[in-house]
Amino acid sequence: MNRFSLPRRGLLAAAAGAATLGAASRLARAAAWPSRDMTFIVPYAPGGSTDPVSRTFCAQLEKILGVNIAVENRPGGGATIGTGAVIRARPDGHTIGLGSNSSLMFQPLINRGLAWNSADDFTSVVKLVDLPPVLAVRADAPWRSFEEFMAHVRANPRRVRASVSGLRTTPDLTIQQLNRKAGVQIATVPFTGGGGEALLALLGGRVEANCGFGPSVKGQVEAGNIRILAVFQRGRYEMFPEAVSSVEAGYDVTLPAAYYVIAPKGLPAEVQEKLTQTSREAVATPEFTAFARSNGYTLDPKAGDAMKAELVEYQETFRELLAFLNQRS
Amino acid sequence: MGALEGLLFGLSVAVQPQNLMAALAGALAGTVIGVLPGLGPVAGVALVLPLTFAFDPTTGLIMMAGIFYGSMYGGSTTAILMNIPGESASVVTAIDGYKLTQKGRAGAVLAIVAVGSFVGATLAILGVLFAAPVLASVALLFGPAEFFALTAGGLLVLSRISGGSFAAAGFSCLLGVALGTVGQEAVTGHNRYTFGVLELTEGIGLVPVVVGLYGIAEILSLVETSLRRGELVKVRFRELFPRRDEWARAVAPWLRGTGVGFFFGLIPGPAATLASFASYRLEQAVSRYRAEIGHGAIEGAAGPETANNAAATSALVPLLSLGLPFTPIGALMISAMMVQGVQPGPLLVQQHPDIFWGLIASLYIGNVMLLVLNLPLVGVWVSLLRIPVWFFVPMLLIVASIGAYSVHNSMLDLWVLAGAGLVGYAFNKCNIPLAPLVVGLILGPEVEKHLREGLILSQGDLLYFLEGPIAPVVWGAALLVAVIGALRRRRQPEPAVLEG
Repeated sequence: MNRFSLPRRGLLAAAAGAATLGAASRLARAAAWPSRDMTFIVPYAPGGSTDPVSRTFCAQLEKILGVNIAVENRPGGGATIGTGAVIRARPDGHTIGLGSNSSLMFQPLINRGLAWNSADDFTSVVKLVDLPPVLAVRADAPWRSFEEFMAHVRANPRRVRASVSGLRTTPDLTIQQLNRKAGVQIATVPFTGGGGEALLALLGGRVEANCGFGPSVKGQVEAGNIRILAVFQRGRYEMFPEAVSSVEAGYDVTLPAAYYVIAPKGLPAEVQEKLTQTSREAVATPEFTAFARSNGYTLDPKAGDAMKAELVEYQETFRELLAFLNQRS
Repeated sequence: MGALEGLLFGLSVAVQPQNLMAALAGALAGTVIGVLPGLGPVAGVALVLPLTFAFDPTTGLIMMAGIFYGSMYGGSTTAILMNIPGESASVVTAIDGYKLTQKGRAGAVLAIVAVGSFVGATLAILGVLFAAPVLASVALLFGPAEFFALTAGGLLVLSRISGGSFAAAGFSCLLGVALGTVGQEAVTGHNRYTFGVLELTEGIGLVPVVVGLYGIAEILSLVETSLRRGELVKVRFRELFPRRDEWARAVAPWLRGTGVGFFFGLIPGPAATLASFASYRLEQAVSRYRAEIGHGAIEGAAGPETANNAAATSALVPLLSLGLPFTPIGALMISAMMVQGVQPGPLLVQQHPDIFWGLIASLYIGNVMLLVLNLPLVGVWVSLLRIPVWFFVPMLLIVASIGAYSVHNSMLDLWVLAGAGLVGYAFNKCNIPLAPLVVGLILGPEVEKHLREGLILSQGDLLYFLEGPIAPVVWGAALLVAVIGALRRRRQPEPAVLEG
């Protein structure tokens, strides 16, 4: 059997019990992948938080695997176009891509006819990073703490507005989750266009608060124009250690933007193994972790089944949130 | 660090050999990208984004800025020579620019536009240099109400930008607005008129529409006319340079274009495109030669091309002083900074003076380079007109198709390109102006977005849109321009339809 034959035949051979032959061909094939340059599809436009993290990961994976990885931006359709392109690609390990908890698990709930419905429809490779949303107010706002802010929100239902970067984006869903868990009514105002217009609305005093991500608000925080009241994650946030964790403040709201590497379903077992192994190594390199730290990402190393389990959990959370939103409106 | 000290420091950064090389390489690549129809500044900068990660952040940004400027310079070349705008910011340049080419003034108008681009960018750089901190707050004054006034008022004023009967221009504009509703609706994310085609959720792309409406339609009519005429316009060498009266007439539009462009760059939105349209409209209103505009007046090309370069420059103000990317290019530049661990924001100038001042100084150097590069190239570009039609037409078609495809790597864009070409050809035959369609397609979604945002923000209060000093003033100005324009037209005989 030559080593370039169809992967499935390799599996059959191994299953047939020809142990030595099987092991030999396994090694040969694992060595044969990657046999050419790879493609990494980013389902978002360049610019923003997703493109740099993908490129940093790919630079490390390139070094480990010794092949070129072309990073291709395929934006659109709430990231479903590029994600679909990865999932529909030939499952040979040469096409992989970025997925987020939102594109992988939320989009199928609101979009029919996608190439995936659940975490069973693609291969979970490795988790890259979490990006926790933060709640910001203007520096001159009367609330000194998250508690004071929440007391004001409770006393003024629907009167406190938080700008977010688009309806049903992670920051919007975070505020909705806060509404749901705390029984309050913060009105979200979605600003689309991705040009930081949600932040601009807070700076210009058009809304009372903004829910966004650390990297995009950091500059304004350092300049003393806005303050971070809370970060929606379990522990303190390295980028803004002064901000209280939502969980510590008594609100179980943790809904980060989580980014993952995915591959099409049905990779040959040995390719999947080597891809997962090398991707884990790439995420653990000092270069990647340094990049993640300096850009406000939280590392949460997970791969394979552990990553899949997390995605399944997210889908449940999103389903509950959607039911809550539909029943309220 | 004061502005002058900063500039000197910036120059010392910018003249380092690797930075000079980056500026030159960027300017060259950008010019080529701009000249190729369909490949605009955004696509160009996105293409080199990965390259910039390998350099020092300042060098990477300088290269991106060079490409950006270069493609703004180059984008007007095909608009003027062949009535094929390379990108949407050059649509209005095609109207008078192409008329001048047909009169044999191609070289003159290319030279005037190159100098105008230089003037616009240079004056805007001075503005950025001395007033960046003050100007940054302009963006804060604009909320949904103000944007709604600006975009809806703009639709009103710009819909008749290229003449034609009220019905024809209105039809064209409404078709543009209608096309703009296709795709994922901005606020709720619902898909409209996508018929299950995933690619349509992105909406109808501006680039394939512009290149199709003008480029493909122009190719179709070229094929038609060349059967009879057989040959393109001949350009003699002595006609390559502007006459003294042409230089003199260009000065006022350059200055007005700089002002208009500088303002549009400060606020979010498709600044360069809007600035070029607004500048053209301004020339129609105030130029001493306004009667000639639309029939091949130098003002109609000088103003808009200056404006879009000024806008491209002043768009750096919100980028560098607020850390907010108001344009796709800005988002790419921020991405390039972040991947290198540089945090864009109000403190950029203190934390990374080398980047801030180096970028500004290199913009100036880049502009000098582009001027030096482009003036001699005028002759080269004009000689493109001597290429035989049998070779020229297929080549143009291929380049336009590659350009349209490369923006999103999407086949759908090629179909849109072909469809827009047929529409453009039919509209030209029926004397329906094309520019209002582009205006509708650009502004329609903006108007809707700001209306929706405003209604959510004010929780349904319509009076919100007239609050504050800015929105009523903008509305007043828009209505005034529209009414005066209508009255002036009434006094003239039946207005001629302008091509474009």
